[in-house]
Amino acid sequence: MADAAATAGAGSSGTRSGSKQSTNPADNYHLARRRTLQVVVSSLLTEAGFESAEKASVETLTEMLQSYISEIGRSAKSYCEHTARTQPTLSDIVVTLVEMGFNVDTLPAYAKRSQRMVITAPPVTNQPVTPKALTAGQNRPHPPHIPSHFPEFPDPHTYIKTPTYREPVSDYQVLREKAASQRRDVERALTRFMAKTGETQSLFKDDVSTFPLIAARPFTIPYLTALLPSELEMQQMEETDSSEQDEQTDTENLPLHINTDDSGAEKENTSVLQQNPSLSGSRNGEENIIDNPYLRPVKKPKIRRKN
Amino acid sequence: MPPTGLEPARMNRKKGDKGFESPRPYKLTHQVVCINNINFQRKSVVGFVELTIFPTVANLNRIKLNSKQCRIYRVRINDLEAAFIYNDPTLEVCHNESKQRNLNYFSNAYAAAVSAVDPDAGNGELCIKVPSELWKHVDELKVLKIHINFSLDQPKGGLHFVVPSVEGSMAERGAHVFSCGYQNSTRFWFPCVDSYSELCTWKLEFTVDAAMVAVSNGDLVETVYTHDMRKKTFHYMLTIPTAASNISLAIGPFEILVDPYMHEVTHFCLPQLLPLLKHTTSYLHEVFEFYEEILTCRYPYSCFKTVFIDEAYVEVAAYASMSIFSTNLLHSAMIIDETPLTRRCLAQSLAQQFFGCFISRMSWSDEWVLKGISGYIYGLWMKKTFGVNEYRHWIKEELDKIVAYELKTGGVLLHPIFGGGKEKDNPASHLHFSIKHPHTLSWEYYTMFQCKAHLVMRLIENRISMEFMLQVFNKLLSLASTASSQKFQSHMWSQMLVSTSGFLKSISNVSGKDIQPLIKQWVDQSGVVKFYGSFAFNRKRNVLELEIKQDYTSPGTQKYVGPLKVTVQELDGSFNHTLQIEENSLKHDIPCHSKSRRNKKKKIPLMNGEEVDMDLSAMDADSPLLWIRIDPDMSVLRKVEFEQADFMWQYQLRYERDVVAQQESILALEKFPTPASRLALTDILEQEQCFYRVRMSACFCLAKIANSMVSTWTGPPAMKSLFTRMFCCKTCPNIVKTNNFMSFQSYFLQKTMPVAMALLRDVHNLCPKEVLTFILDLIKYNDNRKNKFSDNYYRAEMIDALANSVTPAVSVNNEVRTLDNLNPDVRLILEEITRFLNMEKLLPSYRHTITVSCLRAIRVLQKNGHVPSDPALFKSYAEYGHFVDIRIAALEAVVDYTKVDRSYEELQWLLNMIQNDPVPYVRHKILNMLTKNPPFTKNMESPLCNEALVDQLWKLMNSGDDGTYFCKLKIK
Repeated sequence: MADAAATAGAGSSGTRSGSKQSTNPADNYHLARRRTLQVVVSSLLTEAGFESAEKASVETLTEMLQSYISEIGRSAKSYCEHTARTQPTLSDIVVTLVEMGFNVDTLPAYAKRSQRMVITAPPVTNQPVTPKALTAGQNRPHPPHIPSHFPEFPDPHTYIKTPTYREPVSDYQVLREKAASQRRDVERALTRFMAKTGETQSLFKDDVSTFPLIAARPFTIPYLTALLPSELEMQQMEETDSSEQDEQTDTENLPLHINTDDSGAEKENTSVLQQNPSLSGSRNGEENIIDNPYLRPVKKPKIRRKN
Repeated sequence: MPPTGLEPARMNRKKGDKGFESPRPYKLTHQVVCINNINFQRKSVVGFVELTIFPTVANLNRIKLNSKQCRIYRVRINDLEAAFIYNDPTLEVCHNESKQRNLNYFSNAYAAAVSAVDPDAGNGELCIKVPSELWKHVDELKVLKIHINFSLDQPKGGLHFVVPSVEGSMAERGAHVFSCGYQNSTRFWFPCVDSYSELCTWKLEFTVDAAMVAVSNGDLVETVYTHDMRKKTFHYMLTIPTAASNISLAIGPFEILVDPYMHEVTHFCLPQLLPLLKHTTSYLHEVFEFYEEILTCRYPYSCFKTVFIDEAYVEVAAYASMSIFSTNLLHSAMIIDETPLTRRCLAQSLAQQFFGCFISRMSWSDEWVLKGISGYIYGLWMKKTFGVNEYRHWIKEELDKIVAYELKTGGVLLHPIFGGGKEKDNPASHLHFSIKHPHTLSWEYYTMFQCKAHLVMRLIENRISMEFMLQVFNKLLSLASTASSQKFQSHMWSQMLVSTSGFLKSISNVSGKDIQPLIKQWVDQSGVVKFYGSFAFNRKRNVLELEIKQDYTSPGTQKYVGPLKVTVQELDGSFNHTLQIEENSLKHDIPCHSKSRRNKKKKIPLMNGEEVDMDLSAMDADSPLLWIRIDPDMSVLRKVEFEQADFMWQYQLRYERDVVAQQESILALEKFPTPASRLALTDILEQEQCFYRVRMSACFCLAKIANSMVSTWTGPPAMKSLFTRMFCCKTCPNIVKTNNFMSFQSYFLQKTMPVAMALLRDVHNLCPKEVLTFILDLIKYNDNRKNKFSDNYYRAEMIDALANSVTPAVSVNNEVRTLDNLNPDVRLILEEITRFLNMEKLLPSYRHTITVSCLRAIRVLQKNGHVPSDPALFKSYAEYGHFVDIRIAALEAVVDYTKVDRSYEELQWLLNMIQNDPVPYVRHKILNMLTKNPPFTKNMESPLCNEALVDQLWKLMNSGDDGTYFCKLKIK
């Protein structure tokens, strides 16, 4: 942030100084900027009529100027971000200046004052090399329907795809093998995990880890887990129900005569219909027709019983 | 003891009334049972009963009723306080002083105790004195109303409370209570005349929590809130005269399902199980239709209720107009194996509604008629529903069961007649218990009794034809239903009681046939017949010389005299011969029709008219006999050991169309391990038209033959290529097809074959590596994703197969079993078991079949010395709170461990569970398993057999509050 503010400040002031002292490129850059600011301060002092100044005071003034510009930058950035933008606009800076107690109206006049000194643009120094994110390939130019001020395309690798078609595994044996070992691995990993995280029992006294058995845990209502099909099975049942309906004819001549649901139900329906035509409507309004004592409402106690 | 019970009842009956003499000096006409408070927390019940009785003798001053474990507060007769004495001798069967401690002594004492309170002898635990103010009233034989206030606290029998310990109200917790018991045990939960022969009308009232439902007998007249609106009272009326023993109750937060096909039928189940209930009961109306059609009689009650409850005492219990089932019978549409079993239970209970509930019995010795008829019509239902093959297979199975039991334990007597009580006359002296009372029987005996009863009914049918049989039933029912609609005063109610003599009279009236010899042979006499048969063919005379011997001296046998059918399959066809079995004739000459082998090309006619080509090269060129069957219709209760050549058995297996014959030949072929037998069995296995159960038993026979032939066996292990061809992918034979169980025959075969294959052994008596890999591959590639049905039973059988493949570990001087010296094959097996058992915790299978199989397999590994023998795992699975099937499997392992390792500690643990487990079924089951697989036997030295144990068992037997402890535990 400070860095960004500094950059913004430097940008707004429109001054850059240059010097080619080399140590570290980033240090260089900062030094050059500072020198430019010193030149500015010195020229302003000259403008104000000073003929000479102590180095320390020039330093102090430079420091103040730098702080001021940095603050403008920082504040302007905050304003712009507040309105959900990334780049400060002129109005952000104006508001900032106003906020800082600066009379903006005086600025144009000040800028156009006659005795101002013009400082030559500082020589271009090496920008600090921000370590660039990996770029690959050329960014795509905007297609014609996208205005140019829109952000550029990101690096191509983020959106370009090269579909590769691997030969699908069609070998039945391999598929089954894969499915089987995958399931086995999952099951083993899962059970081992469960065994590791919970209580276990073991078949060998000297070794508890090779064949860990998840400890037996009694249920409060044991029949529920034992009888109700698991959700997985329910799901499976729904799936297979729809897919295998046409195979149902097979079941009719089975020795056990267990009617599967659908064929059985059909048979039942017809026999009921023959037997008792009045029942045919029962499908629609079941509750209304059935007279079963267990469905009747519970009676209120008779009042005379109260005493 | 006043001799009131022996006085002949003075009843002015009409002439047609087939003399039923009540053992009581009074007649009950109506009873009110009102239970106005049920506390699930404390497991207690408070209520009253009111019995309306008519004295039948003038000097009636004591009234005996049945009541057990109830606390009786107050008895009033016609609003006058009455004194009463309560004494239950079965609470302490043998008194403390007894020095004699043997089964005989106990059995006698127990029989005496039961008989002292037997309502059929006019006795009872509760003796009420009629107040003197009423004596005059009694002398005029005027009505008495006996009002008894009682309560019941923590009942040990009769009523069973199930109260899961979770948060929430009792209804939210799924707490429920239901009546249960063996035979007439209604006295456990309210005072009554607990006899099947004392009928009366009923008014039943139950006040329960507003969130609960009380289901009981008869019509629900109304449901009324109590005035605080927190409870409601269910009012039931049962206008059909019913015995107290057929009264029942179930209270719980049940979900209610009105049968969509029959609106007067209502089903109840515990919360969350409604979808299963819908599916399970969707079939019931067909059973109704079937019975009503064959009996040409409407269902006698105006409504019917089924209740499915947890911790059931027995799987099926039938009471007047309602049946109580175990909730574990419920299943979804995905379950194959349970479906026929559950439907059988439904059909069984419904048959008992007609005979057992509606029609009751006069005395205990008439029980066989009821059990026989209900079992018989249930059999007819089986025949219609599952087909003739299944029916004949079932009959054969039942016959084998009863024959095995009688030969082992001694005869089962259907119609015991007790003389003067002399020990000598005791018809059941070979048994360690008395058969005078239902309560003194062992459970196994009673099961066998029922089995024999329906088989004998079938014999009667063979004799008089089914048509007459059904006419007799119809007659009994229509008499009863006429009687049931009469008022008490008409004295017609005894028409609703069946007796042996009445039943037989009815048979002779309807059919005009004399079945007395048959009854004498099978009903009045115990034992089965044991035939040994062999034959020779006399070429000169062209006669088959058949020799049939009988063993009638061994226990459980009897001599048979009479006709015996023999079927001979010859080249020219199948011929029936009826031999007359007489005292001394052993040999029977049967002329043959065919002149040995004349032309080879001719087709051979079978019994059913079918003509088939046979390869006759295997048979004896001089003899025209293909196979011989003795008593093919199973019209004698017998065991036949018949000798014929192996090729004859093979022909019988291949070409005889009767499944029973096929099964017999499979059994016989075990003794002939030859390539020809192998071929015959393989052919049967492959034949899709063949009955699937025959094919299943062929698998096991083939495994046995292969083991006997191990040194000469060629080719892949038995059944492997067959299985591959039938169930594996065409392209990759080592991978099984994805499961599709639409064809149930194939499904059962697919399940069974690997289990049988795992029994194969190589020359070193080990399971061939190839077979083990094969089974492991089946497990690995098992894929049920596309299947309409659950594969839980299939996977469980795969684990059974793994267990079958285990052979004893080679142990070097009894080293301790550790992981390091684990056999690599066993390691693979253990890997699978571990994974399956652990997966069960995450994705439990239906009825936890897989856990059950895993536990059994682990015990097998322990027993064979691969895994250290340790009962700890099983004990944890045996705890209360696991699903009952798991508990039983685990307990079985503990029982086995107790025997093998002679562990006193485990025996104590088991005995403790026998005394304290909350579920009666489990308690009985442990005892049952201990008697089947006893930790030590009579003549064996065992550290377990000590004085303390004897004491403990003796105490246990004596405290029989449940009346069903039959520790035939080998004491002394």
